Amino acid sequence: MEIQPSDLGLVARVAGLGKHYGTGAGAVTALEDVSLGLRRGEFTAIMGPSGSGKSTLMHIMAGLDSATTGRVWLGDTEITELPDGALTVLRRRRVGFVFQAFNLVPTLDALGNVLLPFELDGRRPTREERALIDGLVERLGLADRLRHRPHELSGGQQQRVATARALATRPDLVFADEPTGNLDSRTGREVLEILADASRTHGQSIAMVTHDPIAASHADRILFLADGRIVRDAQRTSAEEIATYMLSMERAA
Amino acid sequence: MIGRLRSGQGPTLLVATIASAFGVALLQVTGYLGSAMRADDVTGSSGTAALMLAIVAWVFIVIAVYVSGIVTANTVATVVAGRTRQIALLRLLGSTARAQRGAIAREGLAIGAIGAVLGLVVGTLVAIGLAEWAAAADVLPRVDHAWADPVVLSPAIVAVLITWLAAWAGSRRVLAVRPSEALGNAAARSQEELAGRRGRTATAATLATVGTLLLLLGVALGLVTPLGVLVGLLGGVLSFTGIVLGAHVVMPPILRLVGRALGTSPSARLAAENAVRHPERSSRMTIGLVIGVTLVTMFAVAMESYRDLLFAATEDRPDLRAGIEQMVSATVAVFGILVGFSALIAAVGLVNTLSLSVLQRTRELGLLRALGFERRQLRAMVLAESTALTAAATVTGLVLGTFYGWAGAQSLLGSVQGEPLVILPSIPWGVVGVLIVAAGVLTLVASLAPSRRATAVSPVAALAIE
Ligand SMILES: Nc1ncnc2c1ncn2[C@@H]1O[C@H](COP(=O)(O)OP(=O)(O)O)[C@@H](O)[C@H]1O
Ligand SMILES: [Mg+2]
Repeated sequence: MEIQPSDLGLVARVAGLGKHYGTGAGAVTALEDVSLGLRRGEFTAIMGPSGSGKSTLMHIMAGLDSATTGRVWLGDTEITELPDGALTVLRRRRVGFVFQAFNLVPTLDALGNVLLPFELDGRRPTREERALIDGLVERLGLADRLRHRPHELSGGQQQRVATARALATRPDLVFADEPTGNLDSRTGREVLEILADASRTHGQSIAMVTHDPIAASHADRILFLADGRIVRDAQRTSAEEIATYMLSMERAA
Repeated sequence: MIGRLRSGQGPTLLVATIASAFGVALLQVTGYLGSAMRADDVTGSSGTAALMLAIVAWVFIVIAVYVSGIVTANTVATVVAGRTRQIALLRLLGSTARAQRGAIAREGLAIGAIGAVLGLVVGTLVAIGLAEWAAAADVLPRVDHAWADPVVLSPAIVAVLITWLAAWAGSRRVLAVRPSEALGNAAARSQEELAGRRGRTATAATLATVGTLLLLLGVALGLVTPLGVLVGLLGGVLSFTGIVLGAHVVMPPILRLVGRALGTSPSARLAAENAVRHPERSSRMTIGLVIGVTLVTMFAVAMESYRDLLFAATEDRPDLRAGIEQMVSATVAVFGILVGFSALIAAVGLVNTLSLSVLQRTRELGLLRALGFERRQLRAMVLAESTALTAAATVTGLVLGTFYGWAGAQSLLGSVQGEPLVILPSIPWGVVGVLIVAAGVLTLVASLAPSRRATAVSPVAALAIE
């Protein structure tokens, strides 16, 4: 019997992952032979210079894009060859997303956006989920904003709504791609603290792509990518150390 | 850049061509009928008859041109809304808003001119074809007719002017684009679009109120004299103009109501919201259809009521009924075809605008896919959005048409039996059925292209930063 990712305490795993765009002279290698496992309950940051393949890695692990070579698991489900319909349902039930921008459906109010994953699944939140949502809304300071449409909210508020949406379904894994990229440092820190807190107190697994050392310093584990390969796998460390390492990476390049 | 609005403007050319071809064909046919009547003038009244025909023809041409103007203005406005960023960038780099708007209007003029010429050719060929057919089938005698009558140029010229004017009107939003919008993300500003429409709303409300009062007066007068129909006609024209002018107030609540009827699934709820997210755009998308459905229904209801009255009066002469039936169906069919061209133009506009609206929502569709919307649900959403638009237009048109048709029949025929007679509206189920089927077909056709585009959007599109 094959060893399942969960036997290793992993919530997601890729093995020998490669992603190539185009062919011939114009071909681009976005990822090359990447193997890694994300541990359940951990807050993992994925760092690297621009163009190093962070977003591509995240898209493939989240079932948004397909791999050129290698295998991908989410939980114990191998998603490498999963058809679109099954992938969609899997994203809906088991993955949460926070993007850098354009996170919310403009025609739905804040609450409608938070509840959208439940609705897509054709159900209402259970009592526990409702309590979780109420708690999130309270903590995110959104209580008096629930009936507002996205265009009536500030960037930080929009990102907090997106964070609440991503956490509300208690997904196996929350993916965040530069979630603080469009925010000022104070609002950015608020969002990061919410993510870190969800991981600490609820054991929420989170994978966050970022190029900001301060953002990465909130994480339990930091993966560094360069030219489509993992070049370092570090435990929690300070923003200064991360910044120094990033600088040395860019000098080496 | 902004001068090139070509994507999404193919339909504008189609609309200009249909409007011009329809007008030209109608005037050519009218002219040919005039020649035929002069050739066989026993009563010496061919001049008056030809004039009457020309007036009737122009009524239909004006309706078609009016609808084509609304459609073109809406198309241009939609394209401009989707290009806010680009326009803002050009403004930022120093281009003036007037220059950009001027470029759009000039392009409208060019498209209108091409459409007019195409329409001139197509319309004339159709008219010649019809004349040949009529002669071959012995419907009309073969007569000499000068097809190169300069009069037929007029609808083509009107089509050019209206396309130009509509492009100018539709591009007004260009003036409101601030250069800074190139930097931030241009959020939905539909609310703003609605501001500053007070004057138009007030005019619309006044027309609708005065018109309705006149219409009711006409109905009351009609109980004693058939001349009541003239007062009623004036009231009808005024009140309907009020409704069309006030479409931005009238249509959104109806769209919301219809949207609610679509159900509570996420696809249906989003579709209902999408149908009213740009109230001005949706109003213009639907009002052309409302005009078409209202006119056809009105005429059919009035004729049906007339027929029922005639049937009642000829209860002892069943031999006359076949003739009456034929006369009524022929009139309704001819009228339906003439109004149908306006409805066709409105339909082209609806299909195109829905397509553009979906195209402009790529990132939102990607977001929905990322969050777990299946392709099937996206298709359902687009279909529901299309349904909301066509259903709102059809229902509104059927209700208005039934009311106007009844009012017309009542004011014209309420006194014919010598004593006041209350006429109940007779519903022409055949015509209603045809309209509903046509609306259903339009719903499907309109959702085809956008739904294909929507399902092709990759969820990664939502994460990409422009
Ligand atoms: N759709 C695509 N077509 C071609 N090349 C792409 C595409 N998407 C990403 N790339 C390339 O793949 C590499 C990795 O991109 P990405 O994962 O977005 O990097 P990061 O998020 O680290 O900035 C880059 O060189 C980028 O140009
Ligand atoms: Mg990236």
